[in-house]
Amino acid sequence: MSTGGAFGGNRGLRPIPPEKGIFPLDHLHECDTEKKEYLGCLKSSANKSEQCRHLSKKYLQCRMAKNLMAKQDMSELGFSGVKELDSTGDTNNE
Amino acid sequence: MSWSKACRGTRISSYLENLHRTSLHSTRTVPLVPWSRYGNQYNLRSKRALWGSSSSFFPLNSHSAAAKSMLLGGAHRQYSTQSITETKSKKMLYYLTGVVFGMVGLTYAAVPLYRTFCQATGYGGTVQRKETVEEKIARHSESGTVTEREIVVQFNADVADGMQWKFTPTQREVRVKPGESALAFYTAENKSSAPITGVSTYNVTPMKAGVYFNKIQCFCFEEQRLLPGEQIDMPVFFYIDPEFETDPRMDGINNLILSYTFFKVSEEKTTDSVDNNSSVPVQETN
Repeated sequence: MSTGGAFGGNRGLRPIPPEKGIFPLDHLHECDTEKKEYLGCLKSSANKSEQCRHLSKKYLQCRMAKNLMAKQDMSELGFSGVKELDSTGDTNNE
Repeated sequence: MSWSKACRGTRISSYLENLHRTSLHSTRTVPLVPWSRYGNQYNLRSKRALWGSSSSFFPLNSHSAAAKSMLLGGAHRQYSTQSITETKSKKMLYYLTGVVFGMVGLTYAAVPLYRTFCQATGYGGTVQRKETVEEKIARHSESGTVTEREIVVQFNADVADGMQWKFTPTQREVRVKPGESALAFYTAENKSSAPITGVSTYNVTPMKAGVYFNKIQCFCFEEQRLLPGEQIDMPVFFYIDPEFETDPRMDGINNLILSYTFFKVSEEKTTDSVDNNSSVPVQETN
């Protein structure tokens, strides 16, 4: 990675490990449908993330359900304003 | 003018000089030569005596008697100036040694000092990790910050040489506003016939915008093992700080490129389970 000191600035910016850690890999493709939905939505909406946030929320919820992600309140991850399409088993903001 | 005066007192002064020399256990014989002759025959002390006595000629009017007393005084003065200069040079020595040690100590102290300075001011891209992303999100949602600028985040994927993985971003780009957490995918496929373990690292360009790019969760820095022929999707969940909009340095930046590179950690042989560890820079996980 880019090494170096502070001369000239930002060369010392080292990659920071992710806040919540590593996503365990989905070897069994358990959340594939949600992923495909999300990607399809991205394509149709010209890659605008805003319009597909509900699907990304669904994907993360699927991961949590399948133990591929630490369970957490969705509002903490920035999904507080996202309305669900179907309201089955939501972990919305309380 | 002082030389003419000096020459008048030559005989007396040379006699006194001899006395002076014998008292100092000098083994050299002093030739009766005019004082303008410098050379190895005169040692420094005599020179000092010479100067001491010649300088004393200036304020005086009468010559020989005064010269005699002045020479004697000069001899004394030479001793006292000697000790004064000795103490002075000793003091100077202590002072200079102290300065040297002080400089060396400062060099050693500079390391933690510099680190605290960088953390306090954020100079050189040092990131002050004060609050987590969740806290940041909570803070911004409470304060109701509205962001308007749409930022295009493009994705790039690389694989180290000799690694038989096909690693591509599943979508070319994502348009996101700061303050909105977004999800992106990468696809990796093991094209070889042996399980390969890889580890990835990332960077964000332009570099100064990297401070605002927070990854909530990703697949980097940890070894990922793919079976032969296996294809897998790797998600990245990230968040761009709303403070990105208010920073004047980020004014012209509307494009961010997130780049991941996979390095090979080991490749397992299909015949026997011996790992070949190639020389790979494995990034540290905190």
